[in-house]
Amino acid sequence: MEAFYFGPSESYLFGAFHSRHGMSRNEGIVLCNPFGQEYLRAHKSIRRLAINLANLGYPVLRFDYRGTGDSAGDINGVSADQWVRDIGHAIQELQDMAAVPKVALIGLRLGALLAAKAATENAQVSRLVMWDPVVDGASYVEGIRSAIVGAQPLGSRSRVITSDGTLHFNGFSMPPLFQDSISKWHLKTLAADVRVPIAQIVSHESDTFADLKRLLSAQQGFYSELAPAPHDWNYVDHVGGILWPKPVIDAIEQYFGRTTSS
Amino acid sequence: MQSNSILVGQRLHEGNIMRERVVTIGDHLPLVGIFCEPDADRVSDPKTAVILLNSGVIHRVGSCRLSVTLGRALADEAGVPTFRFDFSGIGDSDARRGTLTANQAAIEEVQEVMDYLGKWKKIDRFILYGLCSGAFAAYRTAIADRRVLGTVQLDGYCYTTWKSHMMHYSPKLLSPSRWVTWLLRKLGLRKVKKGAEVSGIEEQFFEVPDFASYPPKEDVQQGLKTLNDRGLEMLYVFLGNEHYKYHKQFEDCFNGVSFKDNLTVIHRPNATHILSEPEDRKRVIEAITDWVNQKLPAY
Repeated sequence: MEAFYFGPSESYLFGAFHSRHGMSRNEGIVLCNPFGQEYLRAHKSIRRLAINLANLGYPVLRFDYRGTGDSAGDINGVSADQWVRDIGHAIQELQDMAAVPKVALIGLRLGALLAAKAATENAQVSRLVMWDPVVDGASYVEGIRSAIVGAQPLGSRSRVITSDGTLHFNGFSMPPLFQDSISKWHLKTLAADVRVPIAQIVSHESDTFADLKRLLSAQQGFYSELAPAPHDWNYVDHVGGILWPKPVIDAIEQYFGRTTSS
Repeated sequence: MQSNSILVGQRLHEGNIMRERVVTIGDHLPLVGIFCEPDADRVSDPKTAVILLNSGVIHRVGSCRLSVTLGRALADEAGVPTFRFDFSGIGDSDARRGTLTANQAAIEEVQEVMDYLGKWKKIDRFILYGLCSGAFAAYRTAIADRRVLGTVQLDGYCYTTWKSHMMHYSPKLLSPSRWVTWLLRKLGLRKVKKGAEVSGIEEQFFEVPDFASYPPKEDVQQGLKTLNDRGLEMLYVFLGNEHYKYHKQFEDCFNGVSFKDNLTVIHRPNATHILSEPEDRKRVIEAITDWVNQKLPAY
Protein backbone atom coordinates (compact mmCIF):
# COMPACT_ATOMS: atom_id res chain seq x y z
CA MET A 1 0.00 0.00 0.00
CA GLU A 2 1.15 3.51 -0.73
CA ALA A 3 -0.39 6.35 1.29
CA PHE A 4 -0.16 9.93 0.08
CA TYR A 5 -1.96 13.22 -0.39
CA PHE A 6 -3.47 14.23 -3.71
CA GLY A 7 -6.08 16.56 -5.19
CA PRO A 8 -6.43 20.35 -5.06
CA SER A 9 -3.88 22.04 -2.81
CA GLU A 10 -6.55 24.00 -0.93
CA SER A 11 -8.48 20.85 -0.08
CA TYR A 12 -5.96 18.03 -0.30
CA LEU A 13 -7.20 14.48 0.08
CA PHE A 14 -5.68 11.51 1.89
CA GLY A 15 -5.40 8.47 -0.35
CA ALA A 16 -4.24 4.88 0.05
CA PHE A 17 -3.30 3.10 -3.15
CA HIS A 18 -3.23 -0.68 -3.35
CA SER A 19 -1.33 -1.84 -6.41
CA ARG A 20 -2.57 -4.87 -8.32
CA HIS A 21 -1.14 -8.32 -7.69
CA GLY A 22 -1.22 -11.40 -9.83
CA MET A 23 -3.22 -10.98 -13.00
CA SER A 24 -3.37 -7.46 -14.36
CA ARG A 25 -6.88 -6.12 -14.90
CA ASN A 26 -7.56 -3.23 -17.18
CA GLU A 27 -9.88 -1.60 -14.67
CA GLY A 28 -9.24 0.23 -11.41
CA ILE A 29 -11.52 0.54 -8.39
CA VAL A 30 -12.22 3.58 -6.20
CA LEU A 31 -13.82 2.94 -2.82
CA CYS A 32 -16.26 5.56 -1.54
CA ASN A 33 -16.64 5.89 2.24
CA PRO A 34 -19.83 6.40 4.21
CA PHE A 35 -20.36 9.40 6.50
CA GLY A 36 -19.56 10.06 10.17
CA GLN A 37 -19.42 7.30 12.72
CA GLU A 38 -20.12 4.86 9.89
CA TYR A 39 -16.82 5.90 8.31
CA LEU A 40 -14.90 5.06 11.49
CA ARG A 41 -16.72 1.75 11.86
CA ALA A 42 -16.05 0.85 8.22
CA HIS A 43 -12.34 1.70 7.91
CA LYS A 44 -11.13 -1.84 8.53
CA SER A 45 -13.72 -3.34 6.17
CA ILE A 46 -12.93 -0.86 3.40
CA ARG A 47 -9.21 -1.53 3.79
CA ARG A 48 -9.70 -5.29 3.73
CA LEU A 49 -11.89 -5.00 0.64
CA ALA A 50 -9.17 -2.94 -1.06
CA ILE A 51 -6.51 -5.55 -0.25
CA ASN A 52 -8.70 -8.41 -1.48
CA LEU A 53 -9.57 -6.65 -4.74
CA ALA A 54 -5.89 -5.77 -5.35
CA ASN A 55 -5.11 -9.45 -4.94
CA LEU A 56 -7.60 -10.12 -7.73
CA GLY A 57 -5.56 -7.91 -10.04
CA TYR A 58 -7.40 -4.59 -9.64
CA PRO A 59 -5.50 -1.43 -8.66
CA VAL A 60 -7.54 0.16 -5.86
CA LEU A 61 -7.66 3.63 -4.35
CA ARG A 62 -9.47 4.43 -1.12
CA PHE A 63 -9.50 7.99 0.15
CA ASP A 64 -11.02 10.47 2.60
CA TYR A 65 -13.40 13.16 1.32
CA ARG A 66 -12.47 16.74 2.13
CA GLY A 67 -13.26 17.58 5.76
CA THR A 68 -13.09 13.92 6.80
CA GLY A 69 -10.42 11.53 8.03
CA ASP A 70 -6.91 12.76 7.28
CA SER A 71 -7.99 15.05 4.43
CA ALA A 72 -7.83 18.81 4.76
CA GLY A 73 -10.25 21.02 6.63
CA ASP A 74 -13.53 20.21 8.26
CA ILE A 75 -16.99 19.77 6.86
CA ASN A 76 -18.12 23.38 7.43
CA GLY A 77 -18.82 24.98 4.08
CA VAL A 78 -18.63 21.66 2.26
CA SER A 79 -21.40 20.39 0.00
CA ALA A 80 -22.10 16.88 -1.19
CA ASP A 81 -21.30 18.06 -4.72
CA GLN A 82 -17.73 18.70 -3.57
CA TRP A 83 -17.49 15.16 -2.24
CA VAL A 84 -18.62 13.95 -5.66
CA ARG A 85 -15.87 16.09 -7.19
CA ASP A 86 -13.45 14.46 -4.74
CA ILE A 87 -14.50 11.09 -6.15
CA GLY A 88 -13.65 12.55 -9.56
CA HIS A 89 -10.19 13.54 -8.29
CA ALA A 90 -9.75 9.99 -6.94
CA ILE A 91 -10.73 8.47 -10.30
CA GLN A 92 -8.20 10.67 -12.09
CA GLU A 93 -5.49 9.93 -9.53
CA LEU A 94 -6.03 6.19 -9.84
CA GLN A 95 -5.92 6.37 -13.63
CA ASP A 96 -2.66 8.28 -13.44
CA MET A 97 -1.10 5.88 -10.95
CA ALA A 98 -2.23 2.61 -12.46
CA ALA A 99 -2.62 3.56 -16.12
CA VAL A 100 -6.11 2.10 -16.36
CA PRO A 101 -8.65 3.42 -18.90
CA LYS A 102 -11.68 2.89 -16.68
CA VAL A 103 -12.58 2.80 -13.02
CA ALA A 104 -15.30 1.00 -11.06
CA LEU A 105 -16.84 2.69 -8.04
CA ILE A 106 -17.84 0.88 -4.87
CA GLY A 107 -19.81 2.95 -2.36
CA LEU A 108 -20.93 2.01 1.12
CA ARG A 109 -24.09 3.65 2.55
CA LEU A 110 -23.87 7.38 1.73
CA GLY A 111 -20.82 6.55 -0.36
CA ALA A 112 -23.10 4.60 -2.71
CA LEU A 113 -25.32 7.62 -3.33
CA LEU A 114 -22.28 9.81 -3.94
CA ALA A 115 -20.74 7.17 -6.21
CA ALA A 116 -23.94 6.99 -8.24
CA LYS A 117 -23.85 10.76 -8.71
CA ALA A 118 -20.16 10.53 -9.67
CA ALA A 119 -20.98 7.76 -12.16
CA THR A 120 -23.30 10.14 -13.97
CA GLU A 121 -20.58 12.78 -14.20
CA ASN A 122 -17.43 10.81 -15.05
CA ALA A 123 -17.21 9.02 -18.38
CA GLN A 124 -14.34 6.85 -17.12
CA VAL A 125 -16.60 5.00 -14.69
CA SER A 126 -17.04 1.41 -15.85
CA ARG A 127 -19.47 0.08 -13.24
CA LEU A 128 -21.09 0.96 -9.97
CA VAL A 129 -21.36 -1.27 -6.89
CA MET A 130 -23.70 -0.12 -4.15
CA TRP A 131 -23.17 -1.68 -0.71
CA ASP A 132 -26.13 -1.15 1.63
CA PRO A 133 -26.84 2.09 -0.24
CA VAL A 134 -28.48 5.19 1.14
CA VAL A 135 -31.21 5.36 -1.49
CA ASP A 136 -32.77 8.74 -0.74
CA GLY A 137 -30.64 11.66 0.47
CA ALA A 138 -33.60 13.54 1.93
CA SER A 139 -34.76 10.52 3.93
CA TYR A 140 -31.21 9.95 5.13
CA VAL A 141 -30.95 13.48 6.49
CA GLU A 142 -34.42 13.26 7.97
CA GLY A 143 -33.48 9.96 9.63
CA ILE A 144 -30.52 11.62 11.34
CA ARG A 145 -32.66 14.55 12.41
CA SER A 146 -35.34 12.22 13.80
CA ALA A 147 -32.75 10.23 15.72
CA ILE A 148 -31.44 13.44 17.30
CA VAL A 149 -34.90 14.70 18.19
CA GLY A 150 -35.90 11.28 19.50
CA ALA A 151 -32.83 11.06 21.73
CA GLN A 152 -33.21 14.48 23.32
CA PRO A 153 -36.03 13.55 25.76
CA LEU A 154 -33.84 10.68 26.92
CA GLY A 155 -31.23 13.17 28.12
CA SER A 156 -28.79 12.60 25.28
CA ARG A 157 -26.05 15.21 25.09
CA SER A 158 -24.23 13.65 22.21
CA ARG A 159 -26.85 14.35 19.58
CA VAL A 160 -27.59 18.03 19.08
CA ILE A 161 -28.96 20.42 16.51
CA THR A 162 -27.27 23.83 16.65
CA SER A 163 -29.01 27.13 15.90
CA ASP A 164 -27.62 27.31 12.36
CA GLY A 165 -29.24 23.95 11.57
CA THR A 166 -26.07 21.85 11.79
CA LEU A 167 -26.79 18.28 12.84
CA HIS A 168 -24.32 16.79 15.32
CA PHE A 169 -24.85 13.06 15.28
CA ASN A 170 -22.75 10.53 17.15
CA GLY A 171 -19.78 12.85 17.18
CA PHE A 172 -19.90 14.07 13.58
CA SER A 173 -21.36 17.24 12.09
CA MET A 174 -23.49 17.71 9.02
CA PRO A 175 -23.97 21.43 8.22
CA PRO A 176 -27.03 22.76 6.36
CA LEU A 177 -25.18 23.17 3.05
CA PHE A 178 -24.32 19.48 3.05
CA GLN A 179 -27.84 18.49 4.13
CA ASP A 180 -29.40 20.57 1.37
CA SER A 181 -27.13 19.23 -1.33
CA ILE A 182 -27.49 15.58 -0.39
CA SER A 183 -31.26 15.92 -0.04
CA LYS A 184 -31.65 16.54 -3.77
CA TRP A 185 -30.42 13.09 -4.73
CA HIS A 186 -32.33 9.84 -5.03
CA LEU A 187 -30.88 6.64 -6.40
CA LYS A 188 -33.96 5.94 -8.48
CA THR A 189 -33.41 9.16 -10.40
CA LEU A 190 -29.63 8.92 -10.55
CA ALA A 191 -29.64 5.27 -11.64
CA ALA A 192 -31.60 6.15 -14.75
CA ASP A 193 -28.65 8.29 -15.84
CA VAL A 194 -25.99 5.70 -15.00
CA ARG A 195 -25.00 4.11 -18.30
CA VAL A 196 -22.80 1.37 -16.87
CA PRO A 197 -23.62 -1.92 -15.10
CA ILE A 198 -24.87 -1.54 -11.54
CA ALA A 199 -24.62 -4.07 -8.71
CA GLN A 200 -26.52 -3.86 -5.46
CA ILE A 201 -24.97 -6.00 -2.72
CA VAL A 202 -26.73 -5.77 0.61
CA SER A 203 -26.38 -7.19 4.09
CA HIS A 204 -30.10 -7.28 4.85
CA GLU A 205 -33.47 -7.04 3.19
CA SER A 206 -35.55 -3.88 3.19
CA ASP A 207 -38.47 -2.48 1.21
CA THR A 208 -36.20 0.25 -0.10
CA PHE A 209 -33.63 -2.21 -1.41
CA ALA A 210 -36.41 -4.32 -2.93
CA ASP A 211 -37.89 -1.28 -4.71
CA LEU A 212 -34.52 -0.33 -6.08
CA LYS A 213 -33.85 -3.87 -7.21
CA ARG A 214 -37.16 -3.97 -9.10
CA LEU A 215 -36.35 -0.68 -10.78
CA LEU A 216 -32.80 -1.63 -11.74
CA SER A 217 -33.59 -5.16 -12.89
CA ALA A 218 -34.45 -3.83 -16.31
CA GLN A 219 -31.00 -2.27 -16.73
CA GLN A 220 -28.43 -4.27 -18.64
CA GLY A 221 -25.80 -5.91 -16.47
CA PHE A 222 -27.63 -5.38 -13.19
CA TYR A 223 -26.53 -7.72 -10.42
CA SER A 224 -28.07 -8.17 -6.99
CA GLU A 225 -26.99 -10.20 -4.00
CA LEU A 226 -28.03 -10.56 -0.39
CA ALA A 227 -25.09 -11.41 1.90
CA PRO A 228 -26.55 -11.50 5.42
CA ALA A 229 -24.34 -9.66 7.92
CA PRO A 230 -24.59 -7.06 10.71
CA HIS A 231 -25.23 -3.60 9.34
CA ASP A 232 -25.79 -1.16 12.20
CA TRP A 233 -22.88 1.06 11.24
CA ASN A 234 -24.04 3.80 13.59
CA TYR A 235 -24.01 1.60 16.66
CA VAL A 236 -21.87 3.45 19.20
CA ASP A 237 -20.35 1.82 22.25
CA HIS A 238 -17.99 3.22 24.85
CA VAL A 239 -14.83 1.79 23.35
CA GLY A 240 -15.30 2.31 19.61
CA GLY A 241 -15.89 -1.21 18.40
CA ILE A 242 -15.48 -1.89 14.69
CA LEU A 243 -18.03 -3.65 12.51
CA TRP A 244 -16.70 -6.52 10.43
CA PRO A 245 -19.34 -7.77 7.95
CA LYS A 246 -17.17 -10.35 6.22
CA PRO A 247 -19.99 -11.97 4.18
CA VAL A 248 -20.53 -8.71 2.28
CA ILE A 249 -16.81 -8.16 1.74
CA ASP A 250 -16.59 -11.70 0.38
CA ALA A 251 -19.63 -11.15 -1.87
CA ILE A 252 -18.16 -8.00 -3.43
CA GLU A 253 -14.83 -9.73 -3.92
CA GLN A 254 -16.55 -12.65 -5.62
CA TYR A 255 -18.51 -10.30 -7.87
CA PHE A 256 -15.28 -8.72 -9.09
CA GLY A 257 -13.60 -12.10 -9.29
CA ARG A 258 -16.08 -13.62 -11.68
CA THR A 259 -17.03 -10.60 -13.77
CA THR A 260 -15.14 -8.12 -15.85
CA SER A 261 -16.37 -4.81 -17.17
CA SER A 262 -17.37 -4.81 -20.80
CA MET B 1 12.26 4.35 6.75
CA GLN B 2 10.76 6.91 4.48
CA SER B 3 8.87 10.15 4.33
CA ASN B 4 6.22 9.38 1.80
CA SER B 5 4.37 11.63 -0.62
CA ILE B 6 4.05 15.30 -1.24
CA LEU B 7 3.98 17.93 1.44
CA VAL B 8 0.60 19.61 1.59
CA GLY B 9 -0.56 22.56 3.61
CA GLN B 10 -3.60 24.49 4.57
CA ARG B 11 -3.87 28.14 5.36
CA LEU B 12 -5.04 28.70 8.90
CA HIS B 13 -4.24 32.16 10.18
CA GLU B 14 -3.26 35.12 8.09
CA GLY B 15 -0.04 34.23 6.37
CA ASN B 16 0.46 30.95 8.23
CA ILE B 17 0.33 27.52 6.69
CA MET B 18 0.22 24.25 8.57
CA ARG B 19 1.75 21.42 6.57
CA GLU B 20 1.00 17.72 6.60
CA ARG B 21 2.60 14.74 4.97
CA VAL B 22 2.10 11.01 5.08
CA VAL B 23 5.01 9.19 6.69
CA THR B 24 5.69 5.47 6.72
CA ILE B 25 8.18 4.17 9.26
CA GLY B 26 9.97 0.88 8.86
CA ASP B 27 11.09 -0.89 5.69
CA HIS B 28 9.04 -4.01 6.27
CA LEU B 29 5.39 -3.77 7.40
CA PRO B 30 5.76 -0.03 8.07
CA LEU B 31 3.78 2.07 10.51
CA VAL B 32 1.62 4.65 8.73
CA GLY B 33 1.13 8.13 10.12
CA ILE B 34 0.67 11.81 9.38
CA PHE B 35 3.31 14.38 10.35
CA CYS B 36 1.72 17.76 10.93
CA GLU B 37 4.07 20.69 11.04
CA PRO B 38 3.41 24.29 12.06
CA ASP B 39 4.39 27.23 9.95
CA ALA B 40 8.11 27.90 10.46
CA ASP B 41 7.34 31.26 12.08
CA ARG B 42 5.11 29.63 14.66
CA VAL B 43 7.36 26.81 15.88
CA SER B 44 7.59 27.07 19.66
CA ASP B 45 10.27 24.43 20.22
CA PRO B 46 11.88 22.60 17.31
CA LYS B 47 13.12 19.82 19.59
CA THR B 48 9.70 18.71 20.85
CA ALA B 49 6.79 16.91 19.18
CA VAL B 50 3.47 15.47 20.32
CA ILE B 51 2.72 11.88 19.29
CA LEU B 52 -0.93 10.88 19.19
CA LEU B 53 -1.72 7.23 19.84
CA ASN B 54 -4.63 5.03 18.75
CA SER B 55 -7.69 4.66 20.96
CA GLY B 56 -8.68 1.02 21.02
CA VAL B 57 -9.11 -0.30 17.48
CA ILE B 58 -10.06 3.06 15.93
CA HIS B 59 -7.60 4.17 13.28
CA ARG B 60 -5.37 7.19 13.73
CA VAL B 61 -8.00 9.88 13.05
CA GLY B 62 -9.33 9.13 16.53
CA SER B 63 -12.82 8.83 17.93
CA CYS B 64 -15.03 11.48 16.33
CA ARG B 65 -11.90 12.66 14.42
CA LEU B 66 -10.45 13.95 17.67
CA SER B 67 -6.81 13.12 16.88
CA VAL B 68 -6.91 14.98 13.56
CA THR B 69 -8.52 18.04 15.12
CA LEU B 70 -6.21 17.99 18.13
CA GLY B 71 -3.07 17.30 16.08
CA ARG B 72 -3.79 20.26 13.82
CA ALA B 73 -4.74 22.54 16.73
CA LEU B 74 -1.49 21.75 18.53
CA ALA B 75 0.54 22.49 15.40
CA ASP B 76 -1.33 25.68 14.68
CA GLU B 77 -1.94 27.11 18.13
CA ALA B 78 0.88 25.66 20.23
CA GLY B 79 3.46 25.69 17.45
CA VAL B 80 4.44 22.07 18.02
CA PRO B 81 4.74 19.39 15.34
CA THR B 82 2.48 16.40 15.83
CA PHE B 83 2.50 12.85 14.55
CA ARG B 84 -0.60 10.65 14.56
CA PHE B 85 -0.01 7.08 13.50
CA ASP B 86 -1.43 3.57 13.59
CA PHE B 87 0.05 0.86 15.76
CA SER B 88 0.71 -2.32 13.80
CA GLY B 89 -2.49 -4.25 13.18
CA ILE B 90 -4.66 -1.13 13.47
CA GLY B 91 -5.85 1.23 10.72
CA ASP B 92 -3.41 1.36 7.82
CA SER B 93 -0.46 -0.29 9.56
CA ASP B 94 -0.04 -3.97 8.78
CA ALA B 95 0.07 -6.52 11.55
CA ARG B 96 3.65 -7.46 12.35
CA ARG B 97 4.94 -10.88 13.20
CA GLY B 98 6.59 -11.46 16.53
CA THR B 99 6.11 -12.73 20.01
CA LEU B 100 5.45 -9.39 21.69
CA THR B 101 2.08 -8.74 23.29
CA ALA B 102 0.16 -5.73 21.98
CA ASN B 103 1.16 -3.84 25.14
CA GLN B 104 4.85 -4.58 24.64
CA ALA B 105 4.67 -3.87 20.91
CA ALA B 106 3.05 -0.49 21.55
CA ILE B 107 6.05 0.70 23.55
CA GLU B 108 8.51 -0.51 20.92
CA GLU B 109 6.51 1.10 18.12
CA VAL B 110 6.31 4.47 19.87
CA GLN B 111 10.07 4.24 20.40
CA GLU B 112 10.49 3.42 16.71
CA VAL B 113 8.53 6.57 15.89
CA MET B 114 10.62 8.64 18.30
CA ASP B 115 13.84 7.27 16.76
CA TYR B 116 12.56 8.16 13.31
CA LEU B 117 11.55 11.71 14.23
CA GLY B 118 14.89 12.11 15.97
CA LYS B 119 16.82 11.22 12.84
CA TRP B 120 14.55 13.01 10.41
CA LYS B 121 13.68 16.20 12.28
CA LYS B 122 16.19 16.22 15.16
CA ILE B 123 13.32 16.00 17.61
CA ASP B 124 14.37 14.37 20.86
CA ARG B 125 11.64 15.34 23.36
CA PHE B 126 8.13 14.03 23.17
CA ILE B 127 4.72 14.48 24.67
CA LEU B 128 2.52 11.40 24.27
CA TYR B 129 -1.23 11.79 23.93
CA GLY B 130 -3.81 9.05 24.15
CA LEU B 131 -7.42 8.32 24.99
CA CYS B 132 -8.25 5.14 26.88
CA SER B 133 -5.88 2.40 25.64
CA GLY B 134 -3.84 5.18 24.03
CA ALA B 135 -3.46 6.77 27.46
CA PHE B 136 -2.31 3.44 28.89
CA ALA B 137 0.29 3.12 26.12
CA ALA B 138 1.46 6.71 26.75
CA TYR B 139 1.97 5.94 30.45
CA ARG B 140 3.85 2.69 29.82
CA THR B 141 6.08 4.25 27.18
CA ALA B 142 6.89 7.18 29.46
CA ILE B 143 8.16 4.73 32.06
CA ALA B 144 10.29 2.96 29.48
CA ASP B 145 11.79 5.97 27.72
CA ARG B 146 13.23 9.17 29.17
CA ARG B 147 12.69 11.07 25.93
CA VAL B 148 9.08 11.36 27.00
CA LEU B 149 8.79 14.59 28.95
CA GLY B 150 5.02 14.73 29.19
CA THR B 151 1.84 12.70 28.82
CA VAL B 152 -1.71 13.78 28.06
CA GLN B 153 -4.01 10.99 29.14
CA LEU B 154 -7.76 10.95 28.58
CA ASP B 155 -9.40 8.40 30.87
CA GLY B 156 -6.02 6.98 31.85
CA TYR B 157 -5.40 4.48 34.61
CA CYS B 158 -7.37 5.30 37.75
CA TYR B 159 -9.02 3.10 40.34
CA THR B 160 -11.96 3.47 42.66
CA THR B 161 -11.64 5.08 46.09
CA TRP B 162 -13.93 4.75 49.12
CA LYS B 163 -15.49 8.07 48.14
CA SER B 164 -16.11 7.03 44.53
CA HIS B 165 -17.59 3.76 45.81
CA MET B 166 -19.98 5.72 48.01
CA MET B 167 -20.91 8.06 45.18
CA HIS B 168 -21.43 5.13 42.85
CA TYR B 169 -23.42 2.87 45.13
CA SER B 170 -25.39 5.27 47.36
CA PRO B 171 -28.03 6.11 44.74
CA LYS B 172 -28.31 2.44 43.85
CA LEU B 173 -28.99 1.42 47.45
CA LEU B 174 -32.22 3.41 47.32
CA SER B 175 -33.37 1.91 44.04
CA PRO B 176 -35.58 -1.23 44.32
CA SER B 177 -34.99 -2.14 40.67
CA ARG B 178 -31.21 -2.10 41.24
CA TRP B 179 -31.65 -4.52 44.16
CA VAL B 180 -33.69 -6.84 41.95
CA THR B 181 -31.03 -6.69 39.24
CA TRP B 182 -28.28 -7.37 41.79
CA LEU B 183 -30.21 -10.32 43.19
CA LEU B 184 -30.81 -11.80 39.73
CA ARG B 185 -27.11 -11.47 38.93
CA LYS B 186 -26.10 -13.14 42.18
CA LEU B 187 -28.52 -15.99 41.47
CA GLY B 188 -27.07 -16.36 38.01
CA LEU B 189 -30.38 -15.46 36.39
CA ARG B 190 -29.07 -12.36 34.66
CA LYS B 191 -25.74 -12.19 32.90
CA VAL B 192 -23.55 -9.10 32.86
CA LYS B 193 -22.74 -8.38 29.23
CA LYS B 194 -19.13 -7.62 28.34
CA GLY B 195 -17.19 -6.56 25.27
CA ALA B 196 -18.88 -7.45 22.00
CA GLU B 197 -21.91 -8.90 23.85
CA VAL B 198 -23.06 -5.37 24.74
CA SER B 199 -23.62 -4.57 21.09
CA GLY B 200 -25.77 -7.60 20.44
CA ILE B 201 -23.62 -8.21 17.38
CA GLU B 202 -22.02 -11.62 17.02
CA GLU B 203 -18.38 -11.52 18.04
CA GLN B 204 -17.15 -12.70 14.64
CA PHE B 205 -18.67 -9.57 13.07
CA PHE B 206 -17.48 -7.06 15.66
CA GLU B 207 -14.06 -6.10 16.97
CA VAL B 208 -13.53 -4.39 20.30
CA PRO B 209 -10.28 -3.68 22.15
CA ASP B 210 -9.05 -6.05 24.83
CA PHE B 211 -8.69 -4.23 28.13
CA ALA B 212 -8.09 -7.35 30.19
CA SER B 213 -4.56 -6.26 31.02
CA TYR B 214 -5.43 -3.45 33.48
CA PRO B 215 -2.46 -3.58 35.88
CA PRO B 216 -2.61 -3.77 39.69
CA LYS B 217 -3.01 -0.38 41.33
CA GLU B 218 0.25 -0.80 43.25
CA ASP B 219 2.17 -1.14 39.98
CA VAL B 220 0.71 2.06 38.58
CA GLN B 221 1.36 3.88 41.85
CA GLN B 222 5.00 2.81 41.69
CA GLY B 223 5.18 3.86 38.05
CA LEU B 224 3.74 7.27 38.85
CA LYS B 225 6.29 7.71 41.63
CA THR B 226 9.06 7.00 39.15
CA LEU B 227 7.63 9.42 36.61
CA ASN B 228 7.00 12.06 39.25
CA ASP B 229 10.59 11.82 40.49
CA ARG B 230 11.71 12.25 36.91
CA GLY B 231 9.64 15.41 36.62
CA LEU B 232 7.35 14.13 33.87
CA GLU B 233 4.61 16.62 33.11
CA MET B 234 1.19 14.96 33.32
CA LEU B 235 -2.21 16.13 32.13
CA TYR B 236 -5.04 13.78 33.03
CA VAL B 237 -8.50 14.39 31.62
CA PHE B 238 -11.30 12.27 33.02
CA LEU B 239 -14.54 12.14 31.11
CA GLY B 240 -17.96 10.91 32.12
CA ASN B 241 -17.67 7.29 33.12
CA GLU B 242 -19.12 5.29 35.95
CA HIS B 243 -15.75 4.70 37.60
CA TYR B 244 -14.47 8.27 37.83
CA LYS B 245 -16.80 10.12 40.17
CA TYR B 246 -15.17 13.32 41.43
CA HIS B 247 -12.41 15.72 40.51
CA LYS B 248 -9.81 14.67 43.08
CA GLN B 249 -10.33 10.93 42.63
CA PHE B 250 -7.02 10.54 40.79
CA GLU B 251 -5.02 12.18 43.58
CA ASP B 252 -6.95 10.29 46.27
CA CYS B 253 -6.42 7.05 44.38
CA PHE B 254 -2.66 7.61 44.20
CA ASN B 255 -2.19 9.40 47.52
CA GLY B 256 1.09 7.58 48.00
CA VAL B 257 2.62 9.72 45.25
CA SER B 258 3.83 13.21 46.18
CA PHE B 259 2.79 14.97 43.00
CA LYS B 260 4.41 18.35 42.62
CA ASP B 261 3.23 21.02 40.21
CA ASN B 262 3.71 18.62 37.32
CA LEU B 263 0.19 17.17 37.64
CA THR B 264 -2.93 18.72 36.14
CA VAL B 265 -6.28 16.96 36.38
CA ILE B 266 -9.40 17.98 34.49
CA HIS B 267 -12.75 16.29 35.09
CA ARG B 268 -15.62 16.69 32.63
CA PRO B 269 -18.28 14.41 34.08
CA ASN B 270 -20.91 15.19 31.45
CA ALA B 271 -18.70 14.37 28.48
CA THR B 272 -18.93 10.96 26.86
CA HIS B 273 -15.89 8.68 26.82
CA ILE B 274 -15.46 9.18 23.06
CA LEU B 275 -16.08 12.95 23.32
CA SER B 276 -19.00 12.77 20.94
CA GLU B 277 -20.41 16.19 21.79
CA PRO B 278 -18.82 19.07 19.85
CA GLU B 279 -18.68 21.44 22.80
CA ASP B 280 -16.87 18.87 24.94
CA ARG B 281 -14.40 18.15 22.15
CA LYS B 282 -13.73 21.86 21.73
CA ARG B 283 -13.14 22.43 25.45
CA VAL B 284 -10.83 19.43 25.82
CA ILE B 285 -8.80 20.44 22.76
CA GLU B 286 -8.47 23.97 24.16
CA ALA B 287 -7.39 22.61 27.54
CA ILE B 288 -4.74 20.36 25.99
CA THR B 289 -3.47 23.11 23.71
CA ASP B 290 -3.22 25.55 26.63
CA TRP B 291 -1.41 22.95 28.72
CA VAL B 292 1.10 22.18 25.97
CA ASN B 293 1.67 25.90 25.44
CA GLN B 294 2.34 26.29 29.12
CA LYS B 295 4.58 23.25 29.48
CA LEU B 296 6.67 23.43 26.33
CA PRO B 297 10.31 23.92 27.27
CA ALA B 298 11.62 27.38 26.56
CA TYR B 299 13.11 27.66 23.13
